[in-house]
Amino acid sequence: MEDNKKEFETVQYIVVKIGSEQYGIDIRYVDNIVRIQKITRVPKIQNYFKGVINLRGEIVPVMSLRIKMNQPESELTNAARIIIIKLEPQAAIGIIVDEVKEVVTLEENEIEKVSYDAKDENAGYINGIGKHEGELISLLDLHAVIGEKEIV
Amino acid sequence: MDTSQYLEIFIDETKEHLQNMNEQILVLEKEPDNADTINEIFRAAHSLKGMAGTMGYKRMQRLTHDTENVFSEIRNGKMKVSAGLIDTLFQSLDALEGYLENIQQTADEGTDDHEPIIKQLNDILASANGEVPAPAQEEKKEEAAPKSEAQSGAKYKRINLEEHEINAMNEAYKKNLNVYGVTVFIQESCILKAARSFLVFKALEELGEIIVSQPSVQDIEDEKFDLEFSLYLISESDAEKVKGAIKNVSEIEDAIVEKIEKVEDVIAEEQKEEEKTAEVKEEKEPVQTAPAAAQAAPAAKQQAPTKQASKPVVNRTVRVDIEKLDALMNQVSELIIAKNSLVSISIADVNQQTAQGLHDQIEYLERITTNLHESVMKVRMVPIESVVSRFPRMIRDISKKLDKKMELYMTGEDTELDRTVIDEIGDPLMHLLRNSADHGLESNDVRVQRGNEAVGSIFLNAYQEGNNVIIEVGDDANGIDIESVRNKGIERGIITPEQAETMSDKDVIGLLFMPSFSMAKKVSDLSGRGVGLDVVKSKIEALGGDVEVKTKLGEGTTFIIRLPLTLAIIQALMVELGDEKYAISLGSIQTIEDISVSDIKYVQGKEVIHLRGTVIPIIRLDQVLDIGPREEKPENLIVVIVKKGDKLAGLVVDNLIGQQEIVIKSLGKYIDNTKIISGATILGDGEVALILDTNVLI
Repeated sequence: MEDNKKEFETVQYIVVKIGSEQYGIDIRYVDNIVRIQKITRVPKIQNYFKGVINLRGEIVPVMSLRIKMNQPESELTNAARIIIIKLEPQAAIGIIVDEVKEVVTLEENEIEKVSYDAKDENAGYINGIGKHEGELISLLDLHAVIGEKEIV
Repeated sequence: MDTSQYLEIFIDETKEHLQNMNEQILVLEKEPDNADTINEIFRAAHSLKGMAGTMGYKRMQRLTHDTENVFSEIRNGKMKVSAGLIDTLFQSLDALEGYLENIQQTADEGTDDHEPIIKQLNDILASANGEVPAPAQEEKKEEAAPKSEAQSGAKYKRINLEEHEINAMNEAYKKNLNVYGVTVFIQESCILKAARSFLVFKALEELGEIIVSQPSVQDIEDEKFDLEFSLYLISESDAEKVKGAIKNVSEIEDAIVEKIEKVEDVIAEEQKEEEKTAEVKEEKEPVQTAPAAAQAAPAAKQQAPTKQASKPVVNRTVRVDIEKLDALMNQVSELIIAKNSLVSISIADVNQQTAQGLHDQIEYLERITTNLHESVMKVRMVPIESVVSRFPRMIRDISKKLDKKMELYMTGEDTELDRTVIDEIGDPLMHLLRNSADHGLESNDVRVQRGNEAVGSIFLNAYQEGNNVIIEVGDDANGIDIESVRNKGIERGIITPEQAETMSDKDVIGLLFMPSFSMAKKVSDLSGRGVGLDVVKSKIEALGGDVEVKTKLGEGTTFIIRLPLTLAIIQALMVELGDEKYAISLGSIQTIEDISVSDIKYVQGKEVIHLRGTVIPIIRLDQVLDIGPREEKPENLIVVIVKKGDKLAGLVVDNLIGQQEIVIKSLGKYIDNTKIISGATILGDGEVALILDTNVLI
């Protein structure tokens, strides 16, 4: 009982870096983390999709968070990874990040809900700010990032 | 008892029977004296009644019972098939389908008694029998008769004892063994009667020796018996023990075990029984429930032809869980990927000694995978017959309703399509047929005035073309009046008059596929509500196919549906563009040509080539696919000529890699379907290559 309660209150996040900012990805949705591999370009698709990769025999589309968030593209370093996310069992999607840092456990009181700023279109992709050891982590709203949810 | 586990079987089988009855009654309408057909319908109705009864669907049972009665009268020649009867029969089939639908959704048959139909059926029966409506009742009594007999009956007495069997009994008496007459009743709900009987036999054989059984062991194994069987057993055990052994087998209703003191008892009884049952049987002719056991030989004979006749009609299907098939399919996919990687190894190691052995292995592997693929695909393939077989009935009903004479001609019902496609294609086809019947075909008078045959024809042709299956649905009506469609478009505000001026006929016809664009002058309950063609189109496109319309004023209209034959693995030509690799389905490739740049001509500013008398437009794939142009301008271009129906196009590629069997994978739901790319595949080296859908390019 005690354990259940504890789990309910805390969420584990994978902390990744995109540019100079740190983002947190809810670990429950993360299927896998893979190194950058050859990405096959697919013509005439949404610009933030870099293409598709072969993940153990499955075709997985890969998106660039930088482009999705209107940040300038940069050369991918050796530290870059593709985080494979599964919001639904049969639909995997990869997100390119510059670096994977660590896994943190955030308690509910360490998460601050963001107040909505309609002017900042990127704010729609964030559903909270986590405070961990003096650093701030923007928590990604994966449904907004991946889905075509309209950002008002 | 809990019948829910059998619900699925019940639904499937009921569907089969109803479909069968529908077809047969259609035949009957044309040939009212066809005895085979009448028998067939009777049998179907009879099985339906039994099944519905077992499942506890009383209303359904009642309706089928009355239908069956009518047919039993027809079968006996006491009644003729009339148009009114056919209509009533169709009504009762519809009512049964209604029940089935309810059952499918809620596992309950609903509360509609369909009294009018039952009354009509009974009226027909009554009038056929002139003043006495009695036969119908009599029939019911007779129906009940075998059952009540079964309750009371120690039917073993009816077994015809052969001389050697009597001798065996006498032997037993000499050895002080007991002889028992045994009749076993199986529960009505039992599905595996043969298996249960087998268990009974096995149990009894442990106790002693079975001299003879009725029906024969073979017939029991083949389930050629009703709910009971009888036998003589020689055993040293007492009657209670024998009875206990039988009752230990589950789904056994009851067993009668009687000790026979001397052989003469049985023989005397037997003869009496024989006389009695012979009498009963004469009256009982129409009732199909396996008649008197004493009439072993004639009964068996009577049953045998019945079984044979019904064979082709019964669909011998194995129902396979589609998920299992998908899993199998995936395994095959893996296997092919494995094969492809072997191929790439062999290319890399071509200088080494092992290369030859490896090569043999690959060939072997290739053969296996191709075969495996084929057989798995075959399991998934279903003839479109299962979808189109209900259309003749539908057209007949429409014809009656609209008072327009029309005939439906179908060909290629045995053309096979992937199961998933079959499940989805029914509604679009039905829409198109209704369209043709309702506002394609004109009334008979108009047709005669125009110099056509009075009876309109609707046709449905299916055939395979390369990797596609084509289904054509059309009519011999007057065709689509393009001008009136054009005007309607303007009227509806979908196009401006200026646009209308410049639109080609083809584009105008394309308007028909726009949502809520109906050409029907008035809305009928058949069609014309504007929810037609756009739905058809989107459904077919969702299946990876497309629709085309061909119409000629005065000659008719044809809708051509093109569907992919297979959904998972195809033979493809791999081509190179820049440093990217693409696959083109081999089924759509006509030829590959080497064309000199100087042969390219321009028509209306577009590149074309003139090839063996045909002008073929050239598509620069590198431009379509946003690939940077090549630095050097070669003098010769490699052009892959692809076809879609009778249209051709030439795709310019940089390099040909070769033919390969590829596994089609979806790009997933997140990528906005670009349509040009129909999927992706994984090559031997793990690289991803995209599959071009050339049907979109043309």
